[in-house]
Amino acid sequence: MRWLRFSMLILFISVVQASTAMNIAAITDLHIKPDILLIFLVYFAIKCETYDAVIVSFSLGFAADIISPTLGPYFLSFGIVGSALAHVRRVILLKTTRQQSVTIIAVGIVTGLLVKILSGFKGPTAMINSVFTISAVAVYSAIVYFLIRLFVEASAKWLGVGLHRFGNKGSSSK
Amino acid sequence: MAQKKIKPSKITVFISLSLIGIILMLIPTSYTSKVNFTFIDLFDFFLNIGSSAVRYPQADSNSPYYVSRGEYNKLWVAYSNLQAELFEERKKIVKLQRIRLSEPSPNTSLILAEVLSRRNGNLVINRGSEYGIRPGQYVLGDNAVIGVIGDVSPTVSSVEVITSGSCKIHIKICDTESDVYYNGTIEGNGAGGGRILNVSKKYKIKVGFNVYAAKKAGLLEFPRIIGRVSKCAIDENNPVVWDITVAPAYDIKTISDVAVVAINTL
Repeated sequence: MRWLRFSMLILFISVVQASTAMNIAAITDLHIKPDILLIFLVYFAIKCETYDAVIVSFSLGFAADIISPTLGPYFLSFGIVGSALAHVRRVILLKTTRQQSVTIIAVGIVTGLLVKILSGFKGPTAMINSVFTISAVAVYSAIVYFLIRLFVEASAKWLGVGLHRFGNKGSSSK
Repeated sequence: MAQKKIKPSKITVFISLSLIGIILMLIPTSYTSKVNFTFIDLFDFFLNIGSSAVRYPQADSNSPYYVSRGEYNKLWVAYSNLQAELFEERKKIVKLQRIRLSEPSPNTSLILAEVLSRRNGNLVINRGSEYGIRPGQYVLGDNAVIGVIGDVSPTVSSVEVITSGSCKIHIKICDTESDVYYNGTIEGNGAGGGRILNVSKKYKIKVGFNVYAAKKAGLLEFPRIIGRVSKCAIDENNPVVWDITVAPAYDIKTISDVAVVAINTL
């Protein structure tokens, strides 16, 4: 993993995710938008080494926290769920795009619910999404993943992620 | 001796990061929100791409057009007060224009005044000799004569209204059918109306006849309406004259603004 490049990418994704330009992709009166950070979380958790996946998950969580009203809920939920997914991947490969998009839905719902619970501890000022919104965002992100898969893969390649994961050579993190 | 690179285990990293997360959760939002706002400030331009919201540029403190918030507030208060004054002046202009329509003589000035208080059935207005008000001048309330100026000080004056006993005005009763005028004097009856005494019974006065303030040299150039005859009966004390009651054209109880008729003698 090239961490400097990863920092730049994560910053770029955060800005894009928080920008008003993302309203173009918003659907329904609830303004449901795809969660690009969630897509990258799942992709990196699947493709990275477990050690890197833990750091990447928490980093993406921190980025999600920065563009949300409070710090903490996303950091913990993305970190825990991403790390868990990195371990699950050792048993279930999740190689196809369809499997990955289903994983995005599952991870989106779980992280969303965790954020909802953790945000409750931060007080009433924290913005808490409904279960329907959480599910809708997860499904929408999974659909969008099909469209931006090439961009996600190219980004991962640029970062040096997953190049030897399923190959014969050893991992770069070893 | 080769330096050994220390790399913490996965579980150590996970627990450390989780602890950081818990600490972040424990920090009050008022502190952590600064991070969020810093991010917004740093990437403000990119975050607002595609937004229709307009961000006005911050004024440069060295600019000649720059004013501090305190100065702005002071100016704003002064501006608001001026606006209120302008509004009042406009109202006065509208009133004057309305009166001027029925007072076309260029020799006649109208001095607008507000009623300050009521005393013994008379009015006290906020204009005095400084504005050219003199005793005996006629006072209009929406084009109808309501009384005359009594006492005058430099800043305030009293108005003896036609319904009070202290007011006496020369009048003309107009027979609208035959265009005949009967002269007389009105004085207040102290019960919200005026009385006209000593009008000979030989004149055929009827209820509904108009009562005008008679023109008076230096004070009133044209007759002005006062009211209407509301009752016409034989005087109990003197059966050869009428006891006429006049209902004022203007409700004096609710009046708040008046216009004093001032004839320019120069």
